[in-house]
Amino acid sequence: MIKKRLAELVAESSEGAVTAQEALTAAVPLSALGITSIARLRLIDAIESEFGVEFDLTEEGMELLDDLDRLAGHLASR
Amino acid sequence: MNAGFPTHVEFAGPGSGTAPLTWGQRAIWEAIERTAPDDHYFNFGRLLKVPGGRTAGEIVEALAALIERHGALRTRLGEPGRSGAEPYQRLEEKGRLPVTVAVGDPDRVLGELAARRFDYAGEWPMRVALVLDGDRVTHVVLVFCHLAADGLGAEAAVRDLRMLLLRGGRGGDRLRWPDASQPIDLARWQAGPEGRKAARAAAAYWESEYRRIPPTMFSAPSDARAAARPPIWRALLHSPALESAVRSIAHTHAASTSTVLLTAVAALVGRFTGHETCAMLPIAANRFRRDTANIVATMSQEGLFTLDLGGGGASSFTDLLRSAGPAALRAYRSAYHDPADRNRITALVGSERGMPIHPYCCFNDMRFADPGPAACDPGEITAALARTSVSWPMSQDKLNCRFCVHLTTEGVSLTADTRYLPRPDIERFLLELESLLVETAVR
Repeated sequence: MIKKRLAELVAESSEGAVTAQEALTAAVPLSALGITSIARLRLIDAIESEFGVEFDLTEEGMELLDDLDRLAGHLASR
Repeated sequence: MNAGFPTHVEFAGPGSGTAPLTWGQRAIWEAIERTAPDDHYFNFGRLLKVPGGRTAGEIVEALAALIERHGALRTRLGEPGRSGAEPYQRLEEKGRLPVTVAVGDPDRVLGELAARRFDYAGEWPMRVALVLDGDRVTHVVLVFCHLAADGLGAEAAVRDLRMLLLRGGRGGDRLRWPDASQPIDLARWQAGPEGRKAARAAAAYWESEYRRIPPTMFSAPSDARAAARPPIWRALLHSPALESAVRSIAHTHAASTSTVLLTAVAALVGRFTGHETCAMLPIAANRFRRDTANIVATMSQEGLFTLDLGGGGASSFTDLLRSAGPAALRAYRSAYHDPADRNRITALVGSERGMPIHPYCCFNDMRFADPGPAACDPGEITAALARTSVSWPMSQDKLNCRFCVHLTTEGVSLTADTRYLPRPDIERFLLELESLLVETAVR
């Protein structure tokens, strides 16, 4: 459920450059799908607003953002 | 020839009032004050090829609708009542904007219109010219005061003007678009609880980084005889090889082309200055929130990008690129800050460290169409080196920075203060940037 919502946010943040379906089924990290820096910041902002979390902008934090399964698990466990 | 052509755009509202400057306005205002009287440097323009055969009257009507829609185009600097008082913004409902009618090369008309500094309190923040071919208006030239719009804000204005022209006149009922966000509302949001929360987070980052970065990147004045007249010079590197190399590296390492270039410039600043940590100020768009994505306003501000280069050139470029990704995101997020906080932190940390802290080293990716990551053939990249050229398009007396890299569709330019980086080093920097990127791409 959370993952599906995250995929929608990816599509919205990237203005459709990555579709929700692509984000859901991607076998590679999101960054390999060609997400730009501005799309990534939009996504971080949208997730922070919607889930009330604060992202750690480090290499580890960005790896979490790259993997929707892990990210959804992380958000669900809060 | 110009008889019967309109001399003004008459516009009427809605809304008027005063507010503090937005963070973006305040940031550009400080830059303007430090660059005056050469502050025409910040003026910029856009050309719109008139779609279909619109008459001058129809174009003026569309311009009125554009100005009515976007409060930024009806907003001027409020003159502080007493010296030392904070500047503020003043939105007005009604006004008359002069229209210039011109013939000839539209780019030349744009250049002429942008060459004069704005009267920030007295003049409307957009200048307009209609370019004629015979009786027909072929282009609309818009020149923006940087307090009213940044590059993406101007793009939004041009897009709306084009839509108004396509739909005819003021758009009427056929143009049911959502209300545009207004700078005056943004200023109030920034001063409110949500804005202050974002500002505090950004300020904490600036403060912690300001405690550890080199006080400035180009600190040693070069031999006075090496300084040029006037002192500020810009070199432009046109290099198809660099462009392909950047796309190729971005493709291989799943990075954006912007991050690849930012990282390469940071690495070279380290090489030229000997600093093990590079601090740069990338200009970020600050349009990542839904309500500001398409606002006609100046949103862009400097963020703080810091990269540990691993002393003595120990880190390979690809190692640097890995840590540069998150570092760039931290920088972009820090760009959405209140310049008043930043000034306070600059003074505080400066007095603690006993020296002024300011990188004076900025990076501005002004490309609207990023060609994006792509695999490129190493042989073709190397062969393209034959088409590299360097030119010197600009020089002036004053600038609020010492080292500014701009990425445009024409290439990579470096504008530097020759008292800190002499002209031959400006050129050498650009050529070494090309070598670093090409060597990394073809390795």
